[in-house]
Amino acid sequence: MNALPKNPLPKNPLLEQFLSEARDLLEGIGQKLMQLEDAPSDQNLINELFRMVHTLKGNSGLFTFPEMTRVLHAGEDLLGKVRNGELAFSRELTDHLLSAMDFVGMLSNEIEQTECIDASRAADAVRLAESLRALMPEAAITSAESSTTAPSTPIPAQSAVAAMPPLTEIPEALRMEAFRRCGDGENFHWIAYQPAPDCFFQGDDPFLRARQTPGLLWGRVLPAEPLPPLAELDTYKCSLQFHLLTAALHEELAEYFRYVPDQVEMVAIDPLWLTLSERKSESQSNFSEAATLAEKSSPAAIENAAALTRLLAAQQKILALDDHPAWLSGRLKAVASVLKNLANSVGYAEAANQIEASLGTALAAASGLPLLDWLNAHQSQFTVKLVPQAAANESRSNAEEESSTPAADDGIKYGRRADDGIKFGRRAEDNQTGPRSLKVDQAKIDRLMNLIGELIVEKNALPYLAQRAEARYGVRELSREIKGKYSVINRIADEMQDAIMQVRMMAVSIVFQRFPRLVRDTSRKLGKEVQLVLEGEQTEADKNIIEALADPLIHIVRNSLDHGLETPEVRRAQGKPETGTLTIRAAQQADRVVIEIVDDGKGIDPAVIKRKAYEKGLIDEAALERISDREAVNLIFAAGLSTAAVVSDLSGRGVGMDVVRTAVEKLNGSVIVESEVGKGTSIRISLPLSMAVTQVMVIESDGQLFGVPMDNVIETVRVPRRSIHRIKQSMTAVLRGRVVPLKALNGLLGITAQPRANMDDELSVLLVQAGGGELGLLVDGFRETLGVIQKPMAGFLSNLSVWSGSALMGDGSVLMILNIREIV
Amino acid sequence: MPIEFKKNRAVFQDEVGVEEAEGLLEWLQKKPAAKADLSNLSHLHTANLQVLMAAKAEISKWPENAELRAWLQPALKPAV
Repeated sequence: MNALPKNPLPKNPLLEQFLSEARDLLEGIGQKLMQLEDAPSDQNLINELFRMVHTLKGNSGLFTFPEMTRVLHAGEDLLGKVRNGELAFSRELTDHLLSAMDFVGMLSNEIEQTECIDASRAADAVRLAESLRALMPEAAITSAESSTTAPSTPIPAQSAVAAMPPLTEIPEALRMEAFRRCGDGENFHWIAYQPAPDCFFQGDDPFLRARQTPGLLWGRVLPAEPLPPLAELDTYKCSLQFHLLTAALHEELAEYFRYVPDQVEMVAIDPLWLTLSERKSESQSNFSEAATLAEKSSPAAIENAAALTRLLAAQQKILALDDHPAWLSGRLKAVASVLKNLANSVGYAEAANQIEASLGTALAAASGLPLLDWLNAHQSQFTVKLVPQAAANESRSNAEEESSTPAADDGIKYGRRADDGIKFGRRAEDNQTGPRSLKVDQAKIDRLMNLIGELIVEKNALPYLAQRAEARYGVRELSREIKGKYSVINRIADEMQDAIMQVRMMAVSIVFQRFPRLVRDTSRKLGKEVQLVLEGEQTEADKNIIEALADPLIHIVRNSLDHGLETPEVRRAQGKPETGTLTIRAAQQADRVVIEIVDDGKGIDPAVIKRKAYEKGLIDEAALERISDREAVNLIFAAGLSTAAVVSDLSGRGVGMDVVRTAVEKLNGSVIVESEVGKGTSIRISLPLSMAVTQVMVIESDGQLFGVPMDNVIETVRVPRRSIHRIKQSMTAVLRGRVVPLKALNGLLGITAQPRANMDDELSVLLVQAGGGELGLLVDGFRETLGVIQKPMAGFLSNLSVWSGSALMGDGSVLMILNIREIV
Repeated sequence: MPIEFKKNRAVFQDEVGVEEAEGLLEWLQKKPAAKADLSNLSHLHTANLQVLMAAKAEISKWPENAELRAWLQPALKPAV
């Protein structure tokens, strides 16, 4: 886990989902494979296994992970055979499939860390896929696979220098250019690219691929087999092959050909080959061998003197050539560098300078003789140097073996070493980094949330304690220290709460992502042209809020589409663009999320709403006259109101907007409509970011404390007793020019005591928002506002709808939270 | 049209995709003596290249694109 990416990449959510699913599927596949070993004939298990591998393969195809897809595809084919009864399930099969799945798992880890697969995996993928296909019954191998097995060894790290490629085909000028560039430190590869016969069907264009090979210096196309007469030619079968010479690096080429690694054969070119091609008949075999060995000229590679001798002999032969080609100097340099490497590898240090000197002479004389003379004179030195070094190597390894023996005997003492030994057997686990995201049961997070809630409440007890220490016991010092500690604990607890809330946060995009489809389908059905604009998808809020938001939003969007936006003809007639715009916008404002759904449709006519509401008996005649247009528009949220003349399958049953309001209010949110006839409608939903902490205002009445959610509170005022008017049984007061009904909290709660006034004979009025109107609650006094963790009433008490819940106060007492809507 | 079939001459334009190969093959079968004008060709799908190679069609004009010409000339020139 320490070697995580240096710069955290912006994650693609689709990719993240793929990885998490892949991990689950791999685990499932592993389990099923094990189960199948015990019950090899269980058809259900096989079907399930097949389906899982198939799903995983399909998913991997969404991304550019050909290595993964290749292996999974082979596994799928194999399982298909098993499913059709063409192949019996065997332990060997399980082994291969398990190792293939380990490979896929490793790739997933790699993708997770770097978002791509290293090109070097392609060869492994081919090998694995081949080993899987090798398990299939012969007859089943289709054309696609036959090409896989036929021509090639997969791109191995450039070790296999089987035979020298036909470099003579390359025009000499180009070959010389390549040779010159080799001298500048470039490396060339020869590529034989034999496209699969059916590659056209896969949308492949081998010629294009060949043309665009990175670092391409030369290339040619030729028939893989003699082309048939025109009449018999199959246009859709690729029967060409390509030879390429490129200066690109091996990794680069492996990456470029990663989709067709099985069709490509790559050979690293030794510069010597480029110079030699002319005289291939004579000494090709020697040279290629020499080149092979020179390439491997690390001390370990040259282990026997015979190889060395052969190598030196080859150099002698080259030098002895008596032709004088234009590239003689290059040839001499090449020989000199081979000699130097050889000398280095056997530890013949003083050779380097001598070779340089001889090379200088040779170049000046334009002849290989000076170098040849030197080589003849010093050849024996090479072998002499080699022998002791080999002996030293051997003795060193012996010593190591010996020293490790006691370690095995004394496992405890050499605990670290013993560990090293164990690691050997853990192939599958070696590279395993844990997944970086956790799937956690929500209950566990909720528990954390509860615990932090308790901690916050307990922490609030400290100031009381400090007060008591000072007031009761008179120890001021201690009181101050407690306060100091309190501020530290306060900070940590707050941060912890924040962290836990973050865990529960989700982006609104989770809900938003279903709208494009919904809008498209719905507008199609209605014959309307609608453009959907989503904004602020990254806004985050608590998981519960986000989830509860989905349904109300769908209602609103449907309503907008059905009632709000007009058909193209109507819009055109009104001079609006034919395509209506529906904007869904989310933003965070302080500790609330605000979601706006705005359309540029026909708007809501308050007159119509008023009339409808009156007809349905939702408002009385007096209200009909009194309410403002703004209030009228908000009547659409009242239960049982629908403005659409006809009930459609989309909306019009008059439940939609009512449901919206209920759902939003359940989340302590509010919803407001603003609309202008002919211009459009905007619906604003405002929700708390998190439901965990509720802000409440503490009030006092008849010596008891109660909490009122701050969402309900409009303001607190003191009203002189004489400005309160009694109209029949009810009290009213004029506040800021408005007539506000007043009710005594005591009365509402069935407490007989009268509201108490203060010294100036003023009554405390808590102005609250309740059921669409304002109401003044007469209380005895106001206290502080608190952030509390509200606990719902449990058991029998939950039937008391007057209370929305209870909370613990800092001094340990219980605060009952009023449900304002219910008591008025 | 990526390939314009004239009386005795096929004129290749820009990029010639795989879907042309079948038509090209049929046309060349009917007119074995036809020539191909590749001067404005920028890319030829492998399938078409294969057909041209098999038909040993005579090339009246080589592509102006030098890189493409370097590929096509050795493959399509009649062996001397």
